[in-house]
Amino acid sequence: MKLISFKPILILLLGLLAASCEFDNFEAPKSTLSGRIVYNGETLGLRSTGVQVELWQRGYDLFQKIPVYVDQDGSFSAVLFDGDYKMTLIRGNGPWLDKTDSIDVQVRGSKMLDVEVSPYYHITNSSVSRSGNNLNVTFTVNGVNTSRALEFAAIYMGRTIITDAVRNEGRHLLTAQNITLGTPVTVQIPIPASLAGRQEVFVRIGAKTVGVPELIYTQSEAY
Amino acid sequence: MKFYKKYILGITLLGVLSTSCDSEWLDREPPNILVDDQVWNDTKLVTGVLSNYYDRLPAHTSLTGGWVDFAAYDEAMWSGYSGNDWLNNLVTYDYGRWGLWDYGLIRDINLAIDKLNTLSTLPAEQRTQFISELRFIRAWVYFDHVKRMGGVPLITEELIYDFGGDPSYLQYPRNTEAEVYDFVISEMEDIAGTLGNAGSKTRANRFTALAVVSRAALYAGSLAKYNSAMSAPISLPGGEVGIPAARAAAYFTKALAASETILKEGGYALYRSNPNLGENFYEAVISKNGNSEVIWAQDFLLSADKRHGFTYDNVARSAREDNLGSSAITPGLNLVEEFQYLDGTPGILKTRTADGSDYLYYEKVSDLFANKDARMYGTIIYPGASFRGQEIFMQAGVAVWNGSTYDLVESNGLATEYSDGGVLTSAAGPHRSIQEVSNTGFYLRKYVDNAVGSSTRGIRSEVWWVRFRLGEIYLNAAEAAFELGQNGLALTYVNALRERAGFGTNSLSDLDITDIRHERRVELAFEDHVVWDYKRWRIAHEKWSGNPNNPESMIYSLYPYRVVRPGDERDGKYVFVKSVAPRFRAPRFFQMANYYSLIGQNIIDANPKIVRNPFH
Repeated sequence: MKLISFKPILILLLGLLAASCEFDNFEAPKSTLSGRIVYNGETLGLRSTGVQVELWQRGYDLFQKIPVYVDQDGSFSAVLFDGDYKMTLIRGNGPWLDKTDSIDVQVRGSKMLDVEVSPYYHITNSSVSRSGNNLNVTFTVNGVNTSRALEFAAIYMGRTIITDAVRNEGRHLLTAQNITLGTPVTVQIPIPASLAGRQEVFVRIGAKTVGVPELIYTQSEAY
Repeated sequence: MKFYKKYILGITLLGVLSTSCDSEWLDREPPNILVDDQVWNDTKLVTGVLSNYYDRLPAHTSLTGGWVDFAAYDEAMWSGYSGNDWLNNLVTYDYGRWGLWDYGLIRDINLAIDKLNTLSTLPAEQRTQFISELRFIRAWVYFDHVKRMGGVPLITEELIYDFGGDPSYLQYPRNTEAEVYDFVISEMEDIAGTLGNAGSKTRANRFTALAVVSRAALYAGSLAKYNSAMSAPISLPGGEVGIPAARAAAYFTKALAASETILKEGGYALYRSNPNLGENFYEAVISKNGNSEVIWAQDFLLSADKRHGFTYDNVARSAREDNLGSSAITPGLNLVEEFQYLDGTPGILKTRTADGSDYLYYEKVSDLFANKDARMYGTIIYPGASFRGQEIFMQAGVAVWNGSTYDLVESNGLATEYSDGGVLTSAAGPHRSIQEVSNTGFYLRKYVDNAVGSSTRGIRSEVWWVRFRLGEIYLNAAEAAFELGQNGLALTYVNALRERAGFGTNSLSDLDITDIRHERRVELAFEDHVVWDYKRWRIAHEKWSGNPNNPESMIYSLYPYRVVRPGDERDGKYVFVKSVAPRFRAPRFFQMANYYSLIGQNIIDANPKIVRNPFH
């Protein structure tokens, strides 16, 4: 009889102990991984959320990627748990040669990472000036890897810093025949009526590679 | 004590006796489930199994499955319950959209075929018929997979795990896209003769199988042709995606041959029972009464409690019989303007004078839509069109002349009166912001039931979902013939369809691929074709480019206004304003990665031989 009366006390004690445990036994991740997509040390301009890098972590039951979208200025960031990750770039996703080797990423606290890629084409020496309702645009398209042909270059004009091939208020297309690689191109283009009255027009120059959905851009700047 | 002993002895004896009387106590037929021997030896039960599989056939947009996605492309937008406004705000199409990996159903079919072969003692002919029908369903399911995912592993028999710890012999790689199309076509050709079910519109028969060949071979042929014609074809090194261009002609030949067999031998005919051509086209899809056009449908029946709420959700606001619902899918002006004038000119509605300086004034709202392709009436309820015998009058507001221009005045309610005593906003809208009233100025007619009571939640609708009808076979034949260079033949088929729509005989004297594509768009709107057609022609990324300046990526509306200009001859007439639909926010954006859907990581984790689709 003595033994039996002992048991409820044990159960009560167990209950008390369990109740004192924390409600959520995982802490939210705190470490930050941030980085840029670079070529020769220069951050590449891209379309906002157009390019995705993948993070994978082995050793856990659920093997799913952590998708990390790249901003229009070529930077990305993710809040993660400390650990060892593998970063992969999706084939055919960005305007660069497929990079099939994964990158080891060790996240301890905060981590900066530059992802070096080898683009098909690269735009340099761009300059834009505004004269009245026209824009004078000069730029050079350089072939870095010409295994895929250049489809076109285009000048995109928009109201916000997020201006690209998809979101724009006006564009001027230069087909590949009008462009000599490595030689500056100068064009004068009219500003579309919807933008002409604005103080600032955001301008970006993009180059499209055949068969790659995403373009490579210059950084978005206001003129 | 003695007394009790007697009883205990008695009870024990009783127990011993009762157990001994039934020697097969543990070896009985289960009373609550049917076992294999029973199911596969009873034609009624096998038919029950078949009906279960027919019911589980995948569909992207049908009356019961995924119908809200009718509002996710360029045919229509969402005007119903505002919680579903995400359909108007799709920033991009998700990579996993259209994803399908239904090996559960395929396994069930494989098991059924296996059991009919091994366990059944039914007559051989009967078994062959059942097996043919199961193979039909399986090939159809594979067709649905390949058009969404590209090549998938072709599994045609039951896979059994040996519990040896190594499942790798059960992991099959993806077959090529061409192999899966070839499988679908060859299965259909193989079983066409033994399917039986002659005359059935809900179970597969010879002509249903040929209709699948007609569509699948056309898809494969155009994929081979148009994918290869891209500046950079979408393909995988193993051919899981991408069909060689050289195979196009063979596929088109098969599609044309299958279509022509249906046209010549099928005994089907275009529906022409109603002299009113608009109503006739509407009935061609929904009428079950001696419909000579429908080849294969998913049927519904009120008396069997198999019914759906599509009419409740999509009926025009002023015709609704319930106190809630209505108006969910509303066609856009884009689609309305696709319907040509009967003289063959483009269907752009004439709302402004030629120089754009003034409105054009119309006596009645419906006058704007006079002399158009009868299929417009049969597909869409436009302002002033009738439905269930009542006029669906639409007026967004009034245009008040202020001496130099018009002020457009709208109401914040429906069925409201303007200060001059006339209508301000009509009971059917359109309205900029109210939910469950058209936001585009149009309502859906196709598949919306005209039976009384069908738009109530208590009764609902028994309109069937048409998977194949002769109209599509005509267009498949025309497209295949055109791709094979037989323009004259293509012209015959397209003109036959146009004649039914009111264009007169031989309305086209010449045609190109854009004419055929246009004809598919107006004939087959809201029949689950637009996505697959745009994908196989490889134009989806251009049509839906995500750019708000691309009119094909946006949904436009048309709002009628009554002119208030007392003392002027234009007073009381109607003017129309075109604009981007107010509740429509994000342009449709189809990316290259959307041509083939995402294969889930869980699938790849379980079977590392599965390769990812391009751009994923």
